[in-house]
Amino acid sequence: MNSPKLIKYLSSNLGIDEAELLVLIAEYPIKKVKRDEFLLRANEFSKHTFFIEKGLLRQYSIDSKGKEHTISFAPENWFVSDRESVYFNSSSAYFIQAIEVSEIVMIDQAFINLLSEKLPRFTEFNNKLLHNHIRHLQNRIHMLLSSNAEERYLEFVKMYPDILLRVPQTMVASYLGITPESLSRVRKELAQKNFRK
Amino acid sequence: MIMTTKTVELIASPRAPHFVGDGFRVHNFIPSGFRLDMQRMSPFLMLDYNSTYTFPPSDKPKGVGVHPHKGFETVTIAYKGRVAHHDSSGGGGVIGEGDIQWMTAAKGVLHKEYHEEEWSKTGGDFQMVQLWVNLPAKDKKSDPKYQAIKHKDVPVYQLPEGAGNIEVIAGKYKDTKGAASTFTPVHMFNARLTKGGTADFQFPKNYNTVLLVLEGSIVVNEKEKTLTNHLALMANDGENFKIEASEDALVLVLSGEPINEPIAAQGPFVMNTRAELIEAFNDYNIGKFGYLED
Repeated sequence: MNSPKLIKYLSSNLGIDEAELLVLIAEYPIKKVKRDEFLLRANEFSKHTFFIEKGLLRQYSIDSKGKEHTISFAPENWFVSDRESVYFNSSSAYFIQAIEVSEIVMIDQAFINLLSEKLPRFTEFNNKLLHNHIRHLQNRIHMLLSSNAEERYLEFVKMYPDILLRVPQTMVASYLGITPESLSRVRKELAQKNFRK
Repeated sequence: MIMTTKTVELIASPRAPHFVGDGFRVHNFIPSGFRLDMQRMSPFLMLDYNSTYTFPPSDKPKGVGVHPHKGFETVTIAYKGRVAHHDSSGGGGVIGEGDIQWMTAAKGVLHKEYHEEEWSKTGGDFQMVQLWVNLPAKDKKSDPKYQAIKHKDVPVYQLPEGAGNIEVIAGKYKDTKGAASTFTPVHMFNARLTKGGTADFQFPKNYNTVLLVLEGSIVVNEKEKTLTNHLALMANDGENFKIEASEDALVLVLSGEPINEPIAAQGPFVMNTRAELIEAFNDYNIGKFGYLED
């Protein structure tokens, strides 16, 4: 069945038929965005969590020296949001921008209420998602504190197998907290170890 | 055996162009065009057409940085402009005007393609076709190789009555054999016709066939007008068709036997299964394709 990715995602995680979900979720707030278009800018207030149907988003900040720091990439089937702004109603410190032409499901509180109301297992599942997200953030803090550039890189490609081919190296370096030169060195060393003609 | 006409299934207009890197401004026909998906068009997986576009002079050559390919062949036909390429095994070269580069990526290469340095400094008209041709499963793990084919080495069939000529890049036209070797049957010709000139073609019914009009305009089978930068998709309903040039014309003719195997394609990799695709990404990420400076 050629239903939207979010429907497939909820169907497989909640064990509910896609057809049934499509009836329950009549209003499907999808937004098409161009490459480089912003879904959120620093100092704005955000009301949405974004689910990526198609394309790729990046969440990042820009420091006082103009340097970018990538918090996360969000390819197909991922969620991204600035929880501080959405849930604590403060202005955002982050930019969320499309790196590719994208299709985004704009999830607001009303949509979450609708899902919670109509899908009995959703709240439990949403809780699990939250814990999973915290686990991911915990790992990320730990990697940034304790791991070297190669270890961070290998963890990155395990989690995002195709991102390296979709974004400039500078963005990957800014996610890993290393310089683009260090990223090149890591990749060169790995190639020297693994390349077989 | 009675031969029947291969009719036109549809004529595709060029889609809005997009840039590949900053050096190739292309209209994609395969696989994004209507009824031009990879399964339908097998063995042709991708056809990007850089219609004539004038690049201003640039000291820094424009192009596409380091990227991998695995599981298929890339064919670059340079009609106008020159491209330099380099790969991770130390290979490299220049694709000059009229030249063809047939690169068998097979088990994997890492390469980059830029406007050739001297050409870039003067800039000018740029017109190219890049094709991806699939490999059968048994050849996807073979060693990478190049066929660098100079324009002067492409065999030419002279059409009668000054109608023009057929450059045979691959396959066979009448008795003239093509310059390139292929893994599965593929015919690839440049038909250069003078106004009013005609040429007839014959391919097996099941061969997937398209005509890309690069210059001028043509009429297919005496009824289907196909304009510059348009592509005619031929139906799999017969063997023979004929084209006539309404004005001086250059037409890229592609016809290939479909490879009836599953296709798992993502980004620059085309394999048979999802698992092989994941392996390709992993191999690339950990350096198994080698290393090449940008």
